[in-house]
Amino acid sequence: MTEKLISHTNLERLLERLRERGTVYAPGRDAEGEVALLQWPQKEPLTLEFTNFRQSPKAFFLPQTQTLLRFQDGKPVEASLPSGERYLFGVRPCDARALLLVDKVFLDGDQNDPYYARLREKTTVIGLACAQTMPSCFCTSVGGGPGDGTGADVLAVALDADLLLKAVTAKGEDLLSRAVDLLAEATPAALQEAEERIHAAQDQLAPAATADSDRRLREAYDSPLWETAGQKCLGCGTCSFLCPTCHCFDITDELRGGVGRRVRTWDCCAYPQFTLHGSGHNPRPTPKERWRQRMMHKFRYAVENFAVSFCVGCGRCIRNCPVSMDLRTALKELGA
Amino acid sequence: MSDSQQIETRLRETAEKLLREKKVSLFLGYEKATLPFRTSPLFLSKPEEVERLAWNPFCTTNLSVYLPRLFKAPVDARAAKAAPPPPTVGVALKGCDIRSVVALLQERQVRRENLVLVGIACPGMVDRRKAEKALGDHQALGAGEDGRGNIRVVVDDGTEITLRREDVVADACLECRSPAPTINDIMIGTPVEGKKTETARLRTAEFESRPLEARWAGFQEVFSRCIRCNACRQACPMCYCQTCIFDQNRPRWIGAGTDLSDVAIYHLVRALHLAGRCTECGACERACPMGIDVRLLGRKMCAEVEDLYGYRPGEAIDATPVLSSFAMDDPQDFVTEP
Amino acid sequence: MSRNPYLPYPARIEEAVVENESRDIKTFRLAFEDPGSAAEFRYLPGQFAELSLPGVGEAPFGIASSPTESDRLLFSVKRVGVFTAELHSLEPGAPIGVRGPLGRPFPWERMSGKNLLVIGGGFAFTTLRALIKQVLHPDQRAHFGSLLVIYGARTPGELMYGNELAEWQKRSDIEVHLTVDNAANGWSQHVGVVPAVLEELKPSPKNALAVVCGPPIMLKFTLLSLTKLGFPDDAVILSLEMRMKCGVGKCGRCNIGGKYVCKDGPVFTRQELASLPAEY
Repeated sequence: MTEKLISHTNLERLLERLRERGTVYAPGRDAEGEVALLQWPQKEPLTLEFTNFRQSPKAFFLPQTQTLLRFQDGKPVEASLPSGERYLFGVRPCDARALLLVDKVFLDGDQNDPYYARLREKTTVIGLACAQTMPSCFCTSVGGGPGDGTGADVLAVALDADLLLKAVTAKGEDLLSRAVDLLAEATPAALQEAEERIHAAQDQLAPAATADSDRRLREAYDSPLWETAGQKCLGCGTCSFLCPTCHCFDITDELRGGVGRRVRTWDCCAYPQFTLHGSGHNPRPTPKERWRQRMMHKFRYAVENFAVSFCVGCGRCIRNCPVSMDLRTALKELGA
Repeated sequence: MSDSQQIETRLRETAEKLLREKKVSLFLGYEKATLPFRTSPLFLSKPEEVERLAWNPFCTTNLSVYLPRLFKAPVDARAAKAAPPPPTVGVALKGCDIRSVVALLQERQVRRENLVLVGIACPGMVDRRKAEKALGDHQALGAGEDGRGNIRVVVDDGTEITLRREDVVADACLECRSPAPTINDIMIGTPVEGKKTETARLRTAEFESRPLEARWAGFQEVFSRCIRCNACRQACPMCYCQTCIFDQNRPRWIGAGTDLSDVAIYHLVRALHLAGRCTECGACERACPMGIDVRLLGRKMCAEVEDLYGYRPGEAIDATPVLSSFAMDDPQDFVTEP
Repeated sequence: MSRNPYLPYPARIEEAVVENESRDIKTFRLAFEDPGSAAEFRYLPGQFAELSLPGVGEAPFGIASSPTESDRLLFSVKRVGVFTAELHSLEPGAPIGVRGPLGRPFPWERMSGKNLLVIGGGFAFTTLRALIKQVLHPDQRAHFGSLLVIYGARTPGELMYGNELAEWQKRSDIEVHLTVDNAANGWSQHVGVVPAVLEELKPSPKNALAVVCGPPIMLKFTLLSLTKLGFPDDAVILSLEMRMKCGVGKCGRCNIGGKYVCKDGPVFTRQELASLPAEY
C-alpha cells in the first residue's frame, strides 16, 4: 500500500481540499480546553498533541440520538439517509479498530442497518498513530497497537518534521492518489522513524490479562467476584456511552398532531431498567448481574460470536468511571 | 507521618475492631485505584482485609450513595419473610457525605440503628480533572501526598511534580460550609472549621447578573455537551427513586435523546426534585463524563431554599426537611403576587 | 437493495375478536395495504413480527396464523401495557405497521417425519396454533407422525381459539387434551395442571419432538415431566419471550448470553438453552 510523506503545511492544504468535497473533522480544543474531533477549521491551529478524545468517534456513525422513521399524518416514512461526505482526521488506532467491530453487528449481512451503513460509506477515516500512551491504555492486549491502521482508510504517523501517510484501504489509496502534488516520497529514514516512534509507544504499555478471556469467563460465571466487584457499580452509563464498541440502543416514538418520529438513543446494559420486563421481572436484578453481563458481552460472548473481544483497550471506561472500576482488574482476578 | 496517614491507620483500626466485634457486618470505605488521583469504594466484610482501606486526598466518592440500596425495603410481606435482615453497616464519611446521610435519615431511607457512622476530618479532596490539567502534557503515573498536604505526582518521564493542594482541591470543597461531620458515632481526626465562604453564591450571582439572552446562551453552553448518560443521577445519594420520573413510560415525560428541550427539562426537573434535599456534595459533577458544571442549577436551588426558608439540607439531624413542613409565616408572595 | 429493517409494512386491522372470558386477549386479523408486502412477508410458524403504532411504539408478537391460511395474518395480543392497551382500543380499519417476519421458526426440517407433542399454557398458545394449522393442512399432514396437543388454562373461559379447539377434537388426525385449574360451566374434560396431564398421558419419546410454550412456572414443571418421560434435551423445543426493541439483533435488549432471542431465537431447543446463562 502507498506510503508518502506530507509536510504540516501540506496537511492543512489537504484538509482544505477535503473540505471542498465534504465536512472535515480534526482535533481541536473545545470550550473546556479538551481536545475533541471538531469541525475543521477551528480558530486555533490544528493540534496533534493529544492522547485521545474524551468521547469516541462512534457518535459519527451511531449518533446518541438518531431518527429512524418520520411520522407524517401518523404514517411512518423512512428518515432520509445522510448524504454529505465526511473526513475524520486524527482518529486513534483503538477507535478506528472499534469501527470494524461495530460493523459486525450493524452490517451483519442479514439485516444491515441502512443508517449506519450510509454513514460508514460516506466517511473516510484518517487515523493518527500514538506517540504517547496513557496508563489506562491497553490496546496491545486486545489485538491492536499504537501504530495499527486497521479500521482506518489512511494511517498518519507524526514524525519530527512531517507526517507519514500510509494507505490502508482502497478508499485511502484513492484519497492519496488525489493529492499527489502535496505528497513526497517516503524515505527509508522516515519509515524508520515511524517504526521507532510506534515501538516507543508500544513499550509504554503494560499488558492486561486478556488472554483466553472467553474460557476464563465461561468457567467463572458463578464466581463470587462478580458480587464483590459489581456492587460498586452505580449503573451510571458512563462506560457504555464513552466506549467505542458499545452499541446498545433504545427505540422510542414521539408524536404530536400526526407529526413526529421514531428515534433511537444510546442505552446501557448497566442501567437497572435495561432488562426490566413489563411484568416487573428483571433477569438482571442487581449490579452484580449487570457488571457480569458487561464483562461477558465484551470478553466472552463477542469472542464466541465473532472470534474477537469487543474491547479495543482505549481505557475510557477506566479513566471516567466515577468509582474507578477497572475491567483489567476483573480479568486478572478471574484466575488463570 | 502526614495527617492522611494517621487517619488511615486509625480508620483501619476502627474498621478492624468493628468487624471483628461484629458491630458491623459490612464496612464501606475506600481503596487504592489502578489510576492516579482516584480511589475506589471498598465493601469490606472481613476484618483481616482492613489493610486494603486507604485514606488520602483522592477519597472523593460519596459512599452514602450505596446506603439506600443496602436498606431497600422488601416489596411486600411475602418478600419480607424471605428477605435477610438488613445489614449493620459502618461507613467512612467526610462532612459532605454525612450531610447526605442526615438527609437520607430524615427521609427514612436508612436506619440509624443499623449504621455506625465513622466521621473523618477532611481538608478538601482533590479534583482529578484539575490535577490532570495542571500537569499539562504529562501523564501521571502515580500520585501521593507530601507532609504538607500537597500532591506529589510522578509523571511519564520519571520526574516529580508537586501540585499545591489549594490549586487542585475540588470546587465543592472550596465552597463547603460544613466539613465537620455533624453527626457521627466515631470521629477520626480534628474536625476542620467550616468556611464562611460565599463562593457558591458568588458564582450563582455572576450567572444571574447576565441579561436573559446571555443566561440562556450560558445555560445552553453548559448543558449542550450532555449525552444523557444519567451519571449525575446515579451518583447522587438523594436520587434513589425506585423508578425515576424519566424512566417512566406511562406517561413518557421527555425523550431519551440529546435534543436541547429534553436535556433542559431533565436537568431543570432534577434540580427541582432536589430542592431542599441537595447537600452540595459534588458527586454529580464528579461523575459527569463530559465535565459539565452540573451544579449550576443546584447552587441556585440551595441559595433559594436558604433565603426563603433559612434551611440548609443535611446540616441538622433534628431539623424537619423544608419541603416536608409548613410554617404559617412561610413566604408566599410568589403565590399572591406572581 | 435490501429493505430497511426498521420500516414497517403498512397494514390495517380487518377484524378484532375477543378470545377469552376476561376479555384481555384479542386476535387481530391484519391485511397489508400493498399486495407486494404480502408477497415479501413469507414466514414460517414460530416466527414473530413487531407490530408498530406511530407515537406509541412497537411490540413483538408471535404470528398466530400459518402461511397455509393464505388469506389471513393473525396476531393474538394480551392487554398488559401501553402498546397493547392502545392496540386493543383500535377498531377495524385502523392502520398498523408490521415489521418482519423475524426470528427463527420452529425447526420444520427436523420435525418432518416425527411424532409431535405440542404443549401450551394460557396465553402462550399463539405460535402453537400456527404450528398446528400448518401440520393439519392436507398438503402437510402426511409429512408428520402423530400430533398430540395438551393445552391448559386457569379456567375454561381462558382457553384461546375455543371454536378451533372444538373442531380439532372432532378430528382423527390430531388428539387434543384440554385442561383447566378450576372447572366451571359444566366442564367435563381434564382438571389439573398441564404437567399432570402430560404424565397421565405418558406420550412416548420415540421418534418424537416436544414443542412447549408457557409461563415460567408451567415450563419449569413441564420440562421436569418431559425429562421423566425420557425426552432428551435436543428433542424439546421452546419459544422464549423477552423484552425486545429492534427485533433484528442489534440493540442488545434481548440478549441471553451470546444469543439474541430475536435473531437466534425465539425458538430454542432445551439443549441450546442449557448452554446459556439463566438470565431470562
